[in-house]
Amino acid sequence: MDAESFTNLALRVISGEATDADRRALEAECASAPAHRDEFEQLKLTHDALRATAPMSEAARATTPELPAHRVNELRTAVRQHFGPAASRTKNTVPFADWLPAFRWIFAGSGAGAIAFAVVIFCFANRTIEVGLYGTDLARGGDQALTADDISSAQLITFNQDASFDQWQSRPLAWSEHAKIWIDNEHDLLHIVRRVSHGHIVMESHPLAPTNEAQREQIKKLVESLKN
Amino acid sequence: MSTDRDLLLALKRGDDAAWQEAFQRLYPPAFAAARHPLASLTPTEAEDIAIEALTLLLPKIKQVAEFDELRLLVITIASRKAISEKRRQLADKRGGGDLTSLDALQDDETIRFEPAEQLASHLNHTDLRELLNLLDLAFSGLEPRQAELVRDFLVHHLSYKELAQKYRMPIGSVGVSLARSLDKIRTHLRAMPKLWKELAAYLR
Repeated sequence: MDAESFTNLALRVISGEATDADRRALEAECASAPAHRDEFEQLKLTHDALRATAPMSEAARATTPELPAHRVNELRTAVRQHFGPAASRTKNTVPFADWLPAFRWIFAGSGAGAIAFAVVIFCFANRTIEVGLYGTDLARGGDQALTADDISSAQLITFNQDASFDQWQSRPLAWSEHAKIWIDNEHDLLHIVRRVSHGHIVMESHPLAPTNEAQREQIKKLVESLKN
Repeated sequence: MSTDRDLLLALKRGDDAAWQEAFQRLYPPAFAAARHPLASLTPTEAEDIAIEALTLLLPKIKQVAEFDELRLLVITIASRKAISEKRRQLADKRGGGDLTSLDALQDDETIRFEPAEQLASHLNHTDLRELLNLLDLAFSGLEPRQAELVRDFLVHHLSYKELAQKYRMPIGSVGVSLARSLDKIRTHLRAMPKLWKELAAYLR
């Protein structure tokens, strides 16, 4: 059998296209010539390597499909959970951040005055807590849904579109805001962005209670604890 | 972002808009890798794997020097995850909830899985970069029609009969044509003996 016929036969066997007669013919060829056995193994190696790697090579050139819109929030949440809320990230990127302690000393006198003023303003500020929900969640929840009366010390904000809800979630806390809370129904999580000591902002996620009623209680308790 | 370098810097800072752009750009390769023919997942399963692979880039961003590394990284992660998912599905199907057979199953899985699947799940993104260059070179040495034929055979797993219909050629010529093309590709692969040796070690 010439080299090309042998390669053709071997490839039929390797790729599962061979008949019983092909397999017997290959066995006979390999038994009669050890070089053919090596040739068969080399061809199988090439075939297996290409079957594994050629699809990965094709993937590197892929330009479709587009990222599904309904998965964007999930990825955004992952970014926030990994890097923390947007406000603290901005803080880390302030130019000359390493020099800030030195500046503080230099401007200590006027700084102290400014801080005292800021503390007075801060104490009188309306330190709000916002609770964000989809309007449809409220409608679906019926009598058991959260109402503004349940969380009188917080502000209930409803959204009808993903874009505006996303924007609200991404927006850093304003200086007058203490915390914001929202339900992530996709992952059954309750997300909280809040200020802790020294104005540091953290993001936390808690498992969401299973029923509308339990969720209402969960948010009520959370708002109370944040207010205190 | 104006350049990939700016984009990478913004990603390292955790910039939301930059990550949004990166995810948009990296989803197609992640999804394509998750649909690796050796894993044969459904589009919905592949979508889940692709999204998971994208989130797994977050902890690795500090170690990445160029944006393009992310593309290779997400491909290797998604391919591995897809193949692991296939293994898990098969193990579930075969195990049938019988906990006592887990060890036996694991042994069985190792034996049953084809070498190519083991290779795809072991490649890292540096290996993949070398391989991509090598494969580009190897395929560029073929006539365009031959290269398409080999791609359809290797990537889309078309049978000889389907290839014969698509390329309007006698079924007897399909094998000959593939064999000649694979021989040419093999010559290119041998030009990088170290990589070839590593591939061979995985596949044996």
